[in-house]
Amino acid sequence: MQAPRRKFHDELDALESEIVTEADLAGNALSRACDALARRDDRLAGEVIAGDDLIDERYIDVERRVLDLLATQTPVASDLRLVSAILHINLHLERIGDMAVNIAKMAIATRTLPTNETVLGQLQEMAEVAGSMLRTALAAFVRRDLALATALPEMDDPVDRLNRGMYREVVGLAGDPKMLEWGIHMNIVSRQLERVADHAVDIGEQVAFLLTGEFKEFTDASHPVS
Amino acid sequence: MGADVVTESKDRREPVGGRLTVNRPGRGGHGGPVADERSVIFDVQNLSVFYGEFRAVREVSLPVHRNEITALIGPSGCGKTTVLRCFNRMNDLIDGARIEGTILYHGVDLYERGVDPVEVRRRVGMVFQKPNPFPKSIFDNIAFGPRIAGFKGNMADLVEESLQKAALWDEVKDKLKESGMALSGGQQQRLCIARAIAVQPDVILMDEPCSALDPIATLRIEELMQQLVSDYTIIIVTHNMQQAARVSDRTAFFTVDVRHDGQRTGTLVEVDATDKMFTNPSDPRTEDYVTGRFG
Repeated sequence: MQAPRRKFHDELDALESEIVTEADLAGNALSRACDALARRDDRLAGEVIAGDDLIDERYIDVERRVLDLLATQTPVASDLRLVSAILHINLHLERIGDMAVNIAKMAIATRTLPTNETVLGQLQEMAEVAGSMLRTALAAFVRRDLALATALPEMDDPVDRLNRGMYREVVGLAGDPKMLEWGIHMNIVSRQLERVADHAVDIGEQVAFLLTGEFKEFTDASHPVS
Repeated sequence: MGADVVTESKDRREPVGGRLTVNRPGRGGHGGPVADERSVIFDVQNLSVFYGEFRAVREVSLPVHRNEITALIGPSGCGKTTVLRCFNRMNDLIDGARIEGTILYHGVDLYERGVDPVEVRRRVGMVFQKPNPFPKSIFDNIAFGPRIAGFKGNMADLVEESLQKAALWDEVKDKLKESGMALSGGQQQRLCIARAIAVQPDVILMDEPCSALDPIATLRIEELMQQLVSDYTIIIVTHNMQQAARVSDRTAFFTVDVRHDGQRTGTLVEVDATDKMFTNPSDPRTEDYVTGRFG
């Protein structure tokens, strides 16, 4: 006998696939934006900026379809939790896409300025970890893997540490006005990467909610663990 | 309501054969279930219901809390209506029906020898799936029960208050002598609720009270339930899961067990706060049912 809500559950499956695709697009945009920054590649940066429209279109489409489901299907229990998780993850991914755009814009804005290898190396490391965290968060979502989701805050630690250290690195460039200008822009890039990692942690929280029915922040910035 | 009616009501609340006692503290607020042992009005323990040799329901244990709406949901044949009818001993009217286990009502065994089922049905009123007003005037529909019970107070006041409580007064106050059968379906159902209220019940049982009504009339009944629950305890059987989610404080999910010989017996899967049941139920069978993944 066919399950009675096949059409509804097919649409839920389709929305989950959309989220996976959107995550791929956002992850690629982030990676390409960081490449554009490291290689001073204006064309690549421009592609990242233009490509954000695709992510935005997907975001709006998922949002609309989720609202349709809420209005017409009144999802409950694990379906309701999945719909809620999709709604939140969709927004996190759209924000990550925007952060990739911000980094691409920084790449264009600083292409004539001198650079510093130490800072670039740290940003590269942050980008790799943040990208890995995004992939981990999505893998936890797709596999319904609570352990993977709860591993994300620990993965975030080096990103936070590098972001905090970035300020000192930039201050160290203060002797050269052009270098300082570049460094201030890189501090913004660092902040964007740190936010991407935070969004990945937030996606992990949504996965945990989906699996347990209880929503808890993995970390609380206002009450950090001492 | 006149003071004489209150006196009458108190008089009629006297224990039946010294066996039924009633306390009615106010509802603590409609913010969710109150897990207080004192608030349990019905305590169902290992209830099985038989029709002859056929066991329709097996070993149900279920607390029903005072001034809450408890919804009984589940697929056809799961025994939810059978259980509902046990709360006012309606099953006594069916030949061969019997129960095992106990239903404590305010701590008194409802099926104990000497408990008067008629008195039970006055205290535990019932509203049925299809509105069933008497073929009498609107006034007499309400007055009928109190008259039989020997009500000596001001009947006009009692009729008005009952219709007010059932949110029907404004619509019928100028045509109380007209037939109750002339009302719309939704009005007829509210008339039946007013009729149930008129005999000062403690509990109102509702057996799919909106299944014959259109969506607007349904929402009016649901709104009425939310108002009534400050004065009464309500148990509702509904096939409409969203109705259970909208109106109830607590939800009990029943299912059907099919034995190897094909015999089908209703069983309680779980009972919990309604918001929990519809966001994160404990039992996978509930999950499968409410999400439509059974079958």
